[in-house]
Amino acid sequence: MMSELSTVDMFVRGRGRFVDDINLLNMLHMAVVRSPFARAKILSIKGGINGKELKGTLESVGEGATEGAARTIEPVLPVDMVNYLGQPVAAVFGSTLYEAQDEMSGVEVEYEPLKPVVTIDDALSSPPIHPYTNSNIISDRWRGKPFEISAPVELEDEFYNKRVATNPIETRGIVASYDGRLTVWISTQSAHAIKEGLCSALNLSPGDVRVIQTDTGGAFGLKGGLYSEYVIASYAAMKFRRPVKWIETRREHLMASRPGRGAKGKVKLYADRDGKILGLKGEVIVDGGAYSGGMAEFSSNFIAMQMTGPYAIEKAHVRAVSVFTNKVPIGPYRGAGRPEAAFFIERMMDRLADELHMDPVELRIKNAADDRFKSPLGVEFEDSRSFIQRAASELNYSSRKGEKPGFACFVLVPATQPGESCRIVVRDGRVKVWTGGNSHGQGHDVFVRKLISQELQVPESIIDVERGDTDMLEEGVGAWGSRSAMVLGDAVVSVARKIRDQAEKELGRYTPELLLSNRYDVYNFQKHERPLNSLGANMVFAEVDEMGMVNVREVDAYYDVGVPLNRDMVEGQIIGGSIQGIGQVLSEEIAYDSQGQLLTASISDAGLRTATTAPRFVIKLADSRSSLPHGAKGLGESPTIGVPAALVRAIELVTGRRIRETPVRPEYLLGL
Amino acid sequence: MTPSSFEYFSPSTLEEACRLLESHPGEARVLAGGQSLIPLLKMRFTTLSYLVDISRIPGLSEIREENGTLHIGPMVRVAELNDAPSVRQYHAIADAARIIADPLVRNMGTVGGNLSHGDPSNDLPAVMIAMNAVFTVTSTVVSRRINARDFYLDTFTTALKEGEILSSISVPGHSGSAYLKQKRSAGDFSVAGVAVALDMDGRLCRWCGIGLTSVGPVPLSAAKAEEMLRGNELNASLIERAASEASMEARPSSDFYGTAEYKRYVVKKLTKEAIELAIRRAGGQ
Amino acid sequence: MEREVSIKVNGKLYREKVEPRMLLVHFIRERLGLTGTHIGCDTTNCGACTVLLDGRAVKSCTVLAVQADGKEVTTIEGLDGEKLNPVQQAFLDTHALQCGFCTPGMIMTAYWLLSKKPDPSEQEIRDALSGNLCRCTGYVNIVRAVQEASRRMRK
Repeated sequence: MMSELSTVDMFVRGRGRFVDDINLLNMLHMAVVRSPFARAKILSIKGGINGKELKGTLESVGEGATEGAARTIEPVLPVDMVNYLGQPVAAVFGSTLYEAQDEMSGVEVEYEPLKPVVTIDDALSSPPIHPYTNSNIISDRWRGKPFEISAPVELEDEFYNKRVATNPIETRGIVASYDGRLTVWISTQSAHAIKEGLCSALNLSPGDVRVIQTDTGGAFGLKGGLYSEYVIASYAAMKFRRPVKWIETRREHLMASRPGRGAKGKVKLYADRDGKILGLKGEVIVDGGAYSGGMAEFSSNFIAMQMTGPYAIEKAHVRAVSVFTNKVPIGPYRGAGRPEAAFFIERMMDRLADELHMDPVELRIKNAADDRFKSPLGVEFEDSRSFIQRAASELNYSSRKGEKPGFACFVLVPATQPGESCRIVVRDGRVKVWTGGNSHGQGHDVFVRKLISQELQVPESIIDVERGDTDMLEEGVGAWGSRSAMVLGDAVVSVARKIRDQAEKELGRYTPELLLSNRYDVYNFQKHERPLNSLGANMVFAEVDEMGMVNVREVDAYYDVGVPLNRDMVEGQIIGGSIQGIGQVLSEEIAYDSQGQLLTASISDAGLRTATTAPRFVIKLADSRSSLPHGAKGLGESPTIGVPAALVRAIELVTGRRIRETPVRPEYLLGL
Repeated sequence: MTPSSFEYFSPSTLEEACRLLESHPGEARVLAGGQSLIPLLKMRFTTLSYLVDISRIPGLSEIREENGTLHIGPMVRVAELNDAPSVRQYHAIADAARIIADPLVRNMGTVGGNLSHGDPSNDLPAVMIAMNAVFTVTSTVVSRRINARDFYLDTFTTALKEGEILSSISVPGHSGSAYLKQKRSAGDFSVAGVAVALDMDGRLCRWCGIGLTSVGPVPLSAAKAEEMLRGNELNASLIERAASEASMEARPSSDFYGTAEYKRYVVKKLTKEAIELAIRRAGGQ
Repeated sequence: MEREVSIKVNGKLYREKVEPRMLLVHFIRERLGLTGTHIGCDTTNCGACTVLLDGRAVKSCTVLAVQADGKEVTTIEGLDGEKLNPVQQAFLDTHALQCGFCTPGMIMTAYWLLSKKPDPSEQEIRDALSGNLCRCTGYVNIVRAVQEASRRMRK
């Protein structure tokens, strides 16, 4: 496979190199037998590679990685108990996909089904699903400080964002091969995170493993962490001494890929009659799924952290709880807690505005911060007041109020820590670049080339952006959490500048010709410990027909992305993310029945928007730059943060129905 | 998933096809466009041992109008219904042909498949029920004619006996007809679909047929609503009452696609709109 | 049990023995090594597998290879020659792809639409693409690409 990442002209010609396009000599296809029950004892299991043979647990790596309690971490393959529908139980193999799937019926598993814990309420009121634990609480902590005040206005409400699948059009997939050393090709957001996870799960040393990123057909958070199937495929490759390919089916994706959202929020605002919020109390409960370690613990705490939004609320105290349920564990999905927090606080702002008969934007401006503000829950931002005012003015809020727009604003807290790595090799007249985060559609190669071209004054055509490869780059973090334009860009610029300085020192002066006629190989891990937060706002217009169907007429965005590295890319991210946000509100849900069986049976059931969803877009970018050398700020998740809250408000305004949950069903809007 | 193994035949006559079905009772299915059958095979819910492909049998792909009746062969692709000029006057069929699944599925999917699969959310059955269509069903020994209204016995169970193939569909002409469907934002299946066919004398309704999609274990005929309209002048209040009646005759279940109340609500609205549209079309508008 | 099929793909005739259960998409990808046609779902929804079968756009994951016996298939690889096809070029020019996975399917459907309707309205374009899912782009630029291709092809 070509070492360079495929470029857009390859994709339009059907010449991308995605993981399912790889065919190695003697390759085996892997099919996974999965639990048909949400919760059951395994009485016996025979056939395939199962938990009796392959032991160990899943290391939590990637976005939102946390250390879970040892007893409740997901096993690679279970031995005694299954805890979610679709949990991998055994793997079988065949020379073709067809044969592998034929082998599935040869696995014999005897189950004793148990009563599953399905909903958050179930979790709080049922005995623990895991032995040797006291309850179904995965984590329970507080953010902020307790306070007691009496306020003339006290308003409380409860909200729920149901689980949503990431559903990139390319599902997960891996090809593992072993020749004394494990080499893995994988659709991923971070080759390094996968390597770290495989080393840990299979007890291999770093030198024993190489992970190479294939062209990655979308990810949205799905492909940054470790999954059982990756470990099993790698183990099988080592066991059989044949390459092993596993490609997830869409049904497997709906059952066993980590979904996002799945959070309830309670908010209580204390305010004076002029609308000034004096304090906020809240509770977040995240539907964590069956095992600990990873997003479940991270999510509730992260949501709680952002519950005061872009407002200067001096007193806040929020409880962050994650619970076990007999469903697949949650993972990061575009926004990964940020949309939930924004939903909870923005809904309350609208409620407060309605309660006080105030304009919702004026209420927001009133509560915004003039200077730098660090919220009692832990989020820093600067001057949200002038930002919100500018947003309202740029988007013509006042003159369009009659059209009943929903308005929402937020702080984007990108996952900049710990930074990102980059390596640039100049050789044979070409410039090759490896980066620690691996692009999956955001067009990083475009801005990477641009930045290097600017810094080194070489034409973009001689710059090869290489695919992620742990052999070619010491360390790497990942492409997620709205970080890449900033931290990846910064890393790229830092390395380019180091090369330039090195060249100048060696040669006495710098010219691109001198550079290209010599050899350089420079690596840098550019650290980022400080947050690099930014602000964003959305305004959405919608109408609802007699059947309760919502038509989103227009989506407006006013975002501070700093210096946009590529206008097309920025707009593409905003439009694509907005459609995902609309999906969360109108149609997307991973739904279960009372037995923990999936009701969402297909990608169509999962509610992805189709080409017939056609809002008009108005995109305006704030004139600003960050302190980073290339001036960029975060972007990727902003539309999934701001659009749902703004859309829900627009629907509320045109129907008069208070909306507290996503997705919104037509029945609810019609009062049926 | 991939399908499990099966044997495949591609006969060149209808008789051969029927014989093949007969000789493997319970284990053989007709393959027309495959857009209903192949997805089932891929889920490995249905294990079939024999597939009998009828796409290479000549004479099954005709659309022919004769004496005010439209004759459609089972292998006519849904997309072809959109392109055929003779179908335009059979408005409900033309409506359905535009909104079944998506354009790509319509290029492969067939009229015969959509009618004989027996899924209550297939669109054409309600249309055929409303239009009082008659199906010709052929076996090695005999051809018999079954009214669409008698064809759907239970979910995925039609009046087709072992060895029988739906070989022709005959649709009488009507003054005006319409098919309206309400899709959910998510999911393959509709919330509800309503087909209406009217024979009008001015504003007097001589005859009326109403078929319902997705709101029962089988596609339904709203018989009481039909009775209310037949022989009467269609005014706004009668239409309203017939629409209410149709919604009461629906037998929807509450599920992922909507509550029963919502589905009835949709049936009522769609019935009213479909009747009004059929009237407009009957008046030549 | 295997049957011999003769299928013309991108102008070249292939004679292969296949199991009847082999899906056309696997025939194209695995047997012929044409991996530009993708698989994105298992319920005939996503359209990543779209190819032309005798000139009509179909979902190759829901067609058996044996059904395509004696027929002509065009895949994404068959669209370009020395230069990119106008539809492919338009996709590049309007930034109509991000991750690129749904792109071949989108292009095939667009190509088919324009072959039937050289000057489609925006609504007609959106309806034609309703069987092709994209998670990255939000469809706006894809629609623009089809409009742009239509403009250029009508010149």
